[in-house]
Amino acid sequence: MKILLIEDDSEAAHYLVQALDEAGHVTHHAGDGETGYAMASGMDYDMLIVDRMLPRRDGLSVIESLRAEGNQTPALILSALGEVEDRVTGLRSGGDDYLTKPYAFSELLARVEVLARRSNPAEAATSLTVGDLTLDRLSREVSRNGDKIVLQPREFRLLEYLMKHSGQVVTRTMLLENVWDYHFDPQTNVIDVHISRLRAKIDKGYKAQLLQTVRGAGYMIRA
Amino acid sequence: MHKIVSLWRTTTVRLTAIFILIFIVFSIALLAYMAVRSSISIQQVQTREVVWEIRQLRELNQRRGLRALAITVQRLASRPGPGVYYLGTPQGEMIAGNLSSVPSNILANEGRYSLRYTPQDAFGQAGVERDETAPRERDSHAMVQSVILQGGLRLVVGRDVVERRDFTAIILGTMAVGLGGIVVLSAIAGVLMARRVLARIDTITETSNKIMSGNLSERVPVTKHNDEFDQLAINLNDMLDRIEKLMAGLKEVTDNVAHDLKTPLSRMRNRAEAALREGKTPRDHKKALEATIAESDQLISTFNALLLIARVEAGSVADNLQDVDVSEVVSDVCELYGPVVEDTGAVLETRISPGIQLRANRELLSQALVNLLENAIKYAAAQNTGSEKHKTTKGKIIVSAERENERIRIVVADNGPGIPLDDRRRVLERFVRLEKSRTEQGSGLGLSLVSAVARLHKGTFELEDAKPGVRAVVTLPVNP
Repeated sequence: MKILLIEDDSEAAHYLVQALDEAGHVTHHAGDGETGYAMASGMDYDMLIVDRMLPRRDGLSVIESLRAEGNQTPALILSALGEVEDRVTGLRSGGDDYLTKPYAFSELLARVEVLARRSNPAEAATSLTVGDLTLDRLSREVSRNGDKIVLQPREFRLLEYLMKHSGQVVTRTMLLENVWDYHFDPQTNVIDVHISRLRAKIDKGYKAQLLQTVRGAGYMIRA
Repeated sequence: MHKIVSLWRTTTVRLTAIFILIFIVFSIALLAYMAVRSSISIQQVQTREVVWEIRQLRELNQRRGLRALAITVQRLASRPGPGVYYLGTPQGEMIAGNLSSVPSNILANEGRYSLRYTPQDAFGQAGVERDETAPRERDSHAMVQSVILQGGLRLVVGRDVVERRDFTAIILGTMAVGLGGIVVLSAIAGVLMARRVLARIDTITETSNKIMSGNLSERVPVTKHNDEFDQLAINLNDMLDRIEKLMAGLKEVTDNVAHDLKTPLSRMRNRAEAALREGKTPRDHKKALEATIAESDQLISTFNALLLIARVEAGSVADNLQDVDVSEVVSDVCELYGPVVEDTGAVLETRISPGIQLRANRELLSQALVNLLENAIKYAAAQNTGSEKHKTTKGKIIVSAERENERIRIVVADNGPGIPLDDRRRVLERFVRLEKSRTEQGSGLGLSLVSAVARLHKGTFELEDAKPGVRAVVTLPVNP
């Protein structure tokens, strides 16, 4: 994936470029808003990672301008401002996701990879399949190997989110945001508890364990 | 001089001046009207008198003859006052009166005339041999009526108007003096009033100067008058109280940040240093790094909690309120934590009345509830793993939300070890965690945030002894 990182902190940028490179992505770096805007409109990127507060031009205005020109490249906003209203302004200006500094790299990588596939067909598909596990989004039925699995509404949404991003790492924060719509980090292992309940329902008694824990990052469902 | 200039600049003085000016204009108009009116009415009275006197004199002449007439005219003429009289023969010889000479055209034709004359002095001489160099002011002016009586006698009766004019002038003069007095007095009153007002404003200015120079505890003095200035002073003081509280909050936050973030930061630094110095194998290094990351995560969450509390307490999120279904918020959080409670072996019981509406910040309300629940889980769990004696009691958490008239009561109760009374209040202070739970995870800010969120919604947060256990009660007014 070709990524443009617009970030003025050169040390943080250097670290990010290296880490993204290790994860198999080609990353270009722009040190200020103006340069970033020029690069983003001049070249085709698969993903933009934009710091919110930039010299010469604000990150949100860069995204706004790109969107106004019809550029739909997914954009992840990085910001030290983490309140709900800051997040809302960020997403309203055309950003696709919002990550508050400081963040774990695994969190950033998971979000970038999920964002890049946001335009994939799974988004609109009426039924999701991972191995022998299928989830029907219309009838809200889940079955594995033909056996029906009964899920609570929230468990259904949890599984739906995981299956929509099958093969990708999904972090605890992402789950809390997307399944429960909470934007804070709880102290306890609340997500782990829900995952283990879900796992008991879909994986128990099967040889292939679909729902996997990715150490230090989050969870992933895959065949 | 400067004082006067600054006095003039005050609104009070200017208002007073304008009012004095308006007053003067109206007074002059009133005086002029009065002068004209009185002059006219005096003239009317005099004309009636003249007409009456002529009629009487004419009758006298007819009934008693010339002699009686001449005596009467002479007697009338010698009275002091504005009356002027002339009685003469058809040939122009004067018989009686106080007018020494009357122009012949007046004598020849009956009618009303305006007559310039020289008043006779007491010795009856001046009129004839008037000294031409004498001041003209001695000339008088009269309105006269000339009639021809039986036998061709010429009678002229009139009233001096100079005297009438003098009278008007006296009235005007008196009033002008009065007016002047009023102007001077009201100017003095205006200045005094302005100085009084200025003095009170000066105290406010003085206080604000003191505050600006750093003494935030200064307050504007409030008098007993309870007037606009006192209202202003009270409002200013309230505002200052609020600012002082915010400043104190900010200071507390920075102090706390300094204290409670510096300690783990230096610990982190020491660990990194030690790993560099003593770490032999990559395994040692990895362990140290993992510990560092875990510590920094803890730091970040403490920092975020501090910032959030500061923001909530400053009220900067207050305009971000929406209509929220409190029942849904509470049951969502319970649903999220239900499995966690079960995993600790405790029971979560919910008693949530449906459809409780409130203008609130959903996110903050949820987070406050999460904090209360996590707290309750911690204490309820402590019971299960606690001493042998307690092992038989099962941990139990009860969450309830209900509306009582105009208040919403959200309660999270556990049956874990209760908080001793003395510690109850202290628990709400930032960073306080009771000795027993020192080793537990958490920033120690959870309940402070709940308290701040309750205050943001104009409500209260209290910890009650549930015997055993703690009952955390958040009370929110429906119409704050």
